[in-house]
Amino acid sequence: MIIPLTAYLIVGAVLFAIGIYAVLAQRSAVMILMGIEVLLNAIGLNLIAFWRFVRPDDYSAQIFTILIVTIGAVEMAVGLAIMLLLYRNRQTVQVDAYEELHG
Amino acid sequence: MGVVLQMPVVLAALLGGALLTLLLERTLLQRTQTEPGPAAAVDYRHAVDPPNADRWLYPAGPVLALLGVALATVVIPFGPNLIGEDLGIGVFYFIVVVDFVVLGIALGGWGANTPDAVEACYRIVAQLVAYVIPLGLALVGAIMMAESLSTVAIVEAQTGLWYIVLQPIGFVLYLITGLMQAYRAPFLEPFAASIQQGVLHTSGGWQAMAWRMALSGVLFVVAAMGAVLFLGGWQGPLLPGPVWMLLKTYGLMALMLWLGTRVRLRSTAQMLALSWKVLIPVGLVNVLIVGMLILLGVGTA
Amino acid sequence: MILGPVAQIVAFSLCALIAIAGALGMATTMSMFRSGIFLMASFIGVAGLFILLSADLLGLLQVMMYIGGMLVMILFMVLFSHDPGGAMMAGMQLPIIEKFFSLGLLPREQKQEEQSQHAGNGHQPMEQNGQDDHAGHADHGDQDAEQNGHDEHAGQNGHGGHEDHEDHEHHEHMDMSMTTPIKKPAAVLAVLVGVILVGLLLLRPAWPIVAATPNPNSAEMVGHLLMGKYMLAFEGAGLLILIGIFGAVFLARAGHFPDERGREARVAVDAQPTAPEAPALQPVADADPPDAAELVGVTEIQTRRNLEKDGRGEQ
Repeated sequence: MIIPLTAYLIVGAVLFAIGIYAVLAQRSAVMILMGIEVLLNAIGLNLIAFWRFVRPDDYSAQIFTILIVTIGAVEMAVGLAIMLLLYRNRQTVQVDAYEELHG
Repeated sequence: MGVVLQMPVVLAALLGGALLTLLLERTLLQRTQTEPGPAAAVDYRHAVDPPNADRWLYPAGPVLALLGVALATVVIPFGPNLIGEDLGIGVFYFIVVVDFVVLGIALGGWGANTPDAVEACYRIVAQLVAYVIPLGLALVGAIMMAESLSTVAIVEAQTGLWYIVLQPIGFVLYLITGLMQAYRAPFLEPFAASIQQGVLHTSGGWQAMAWRMALSGVLFVVAAMGAVLFLGGWQGPLLPGPVWMLLKTYGLMALMLWLGTRVRLRSTAQMLALSWKVLIPVGLVNVLIVGMLILLGVGTA
Repeated sequence: MILGPVAQIVAFSLCALIAIAGALGMATTMSMFRSGIFLMASFIGVAGLFILLSADLLGLLQVMMYIGGMLVMILFMVLFSHDPGGAMMAGMQLPIIEKFFSLGLLPREQKQEEQSQHAGNGHQPMEQNGQDDHAGHADHGDQDAEQNGHDEHAGQNGHGGHEDHEDHEHHEHMDMSMTTPIKKPAAVLAVLVGVILVGLLLLRPAWPIVAATPNPNSAEMVGHLLMGKYMLAFEGAGLLILIGIFGAVFLARAGHFPDERGREARVAVDAQPTAPEAPALQPVADADPPDAAELVGVTEIQTRRNLEKDGRGEQ
């Protein structure tokens, strides 16, 4: 392996930072959902990198990542359904239009 | 084989396969007088320049579609050693890279930004949702019996008996989902004449050429994969392997196209209904039957 | 696949570049459709990294899940958005990163006029089209939204006066911006997090790395684990997906909140030219959800008509 572990981890860290920006700065709920996907992806990359370099004999890390991908897909489906409902209600999915949610 | 040597060979195989496919399809279409769909005539000479196009996504569409088909050709074996790369997860890889064609059509449709093309973009995604799961279920049967995802291993597992005999339900399922995956009649909604063949109408010049090759190529790889999974690939008496493989591929392709012209065109909503109400339950039954056959010791070496 | 050292470095840089540039493009571009595509590119880049890390099954799984998932998500996004193509926002003053990722979104109005002045042969069908829809996605979505808004006023009185007013205001001076007011602090925070994480990584480079290589047949290994040791987790994930499907269908079911009248009205207008033939297709239309069925009916009629026309022409 020519590429060191740290290189993969740095890519993961940069992805994580971009994900944080997207979640905080985007107005549309769909974009926030996409930011969360980037965060999950960064985590998956870290898991697989550590698996390859530290415990290549134990495939549990891959199982864990598969579960993360699965949960990401379910989250996306339910999130989209909620957004569909919100949109039917108020004709917008921009999160700052739902001010009454902060009580 | 080095990657540098491999690529031109695979591309040449794809080009030849796509050209033959186009010839076959044209002949058949002239006979039956049905809607051409993805095989409709395109304008190679004049580049089309849609005024409102998204100028990154619009040219990316045909490139991605062609890339997907070229990548799919890599795992199709034409003989014991005549294969681009015998990947350990070949069949799964095949399903994944053929999805790039859908992605390409969606990008090209949206990027061109005319109502017809955007409509095609929507229809193709709905079609993807319709065919992906039954297609997977059709493949699972063959994979279970061969106990491998490698295309070469699947062909070698059919030395005694082809899987079409053992899994007729899986084969029929593959015929239907293969037509959906290749966007041929009766499932040519994204390329319907009512929307002027969707993306084909909004592209010309090199893009039209790339679409033509990708759309003929996708039928070619789908038929070739069908021959590998259910018809024993390159195996057969007398003739050499590659000839058998080509015969089976084009025979299966002709069968699919002919069957497609026998039935009424289906809309996207009907495709989704067909997929969820009929094909997925049938696919699950097929998996069950194959599992029972394996437990009984049939088909396994 | 075993790659040489140079090929490994090239592949790694390419995949890392795609992953990071894709994520950055997702967060900054003005076109929502494009941001979905960029996110997909980012996923594909990460999948490439997975394959480099010899987790090939996982990489392909990721590509498959996200091509289908993302495309559907993008189409939803387009339905929810006022300017999914980003043609309006791209014309404004933008910071440099956002400008770069929004290149090529502006429609070419002047150029089109030039073309029509000295029109070539090949352009005729295209031009007709271009003038027909002139606006493409941009105006389309906007008009749609406006229409929906008005219909909502007319149709649903249950909301009460106050909210009605708010809704109106929203449409009067619509805030088109895609980002929240805390965009700047968020960017600073994100950069800070990134710098801290990378700094920590560089400061602590001594992971207990082992030299062993994993079994190349990762599909088999993962399969055995999923069906053995992690059976419960696997079944749990399956149950979660099932519940997720139920939940999504339950939440998004039609009925409680009817579909916007605006959309149905538009479809009815589209269906006008084929009105005389419509009754014959009524049973088909009734069997499916209303809006989809309408569209299907129309296309079907058109397709059938074309077919018939062709058939007659040939005979």
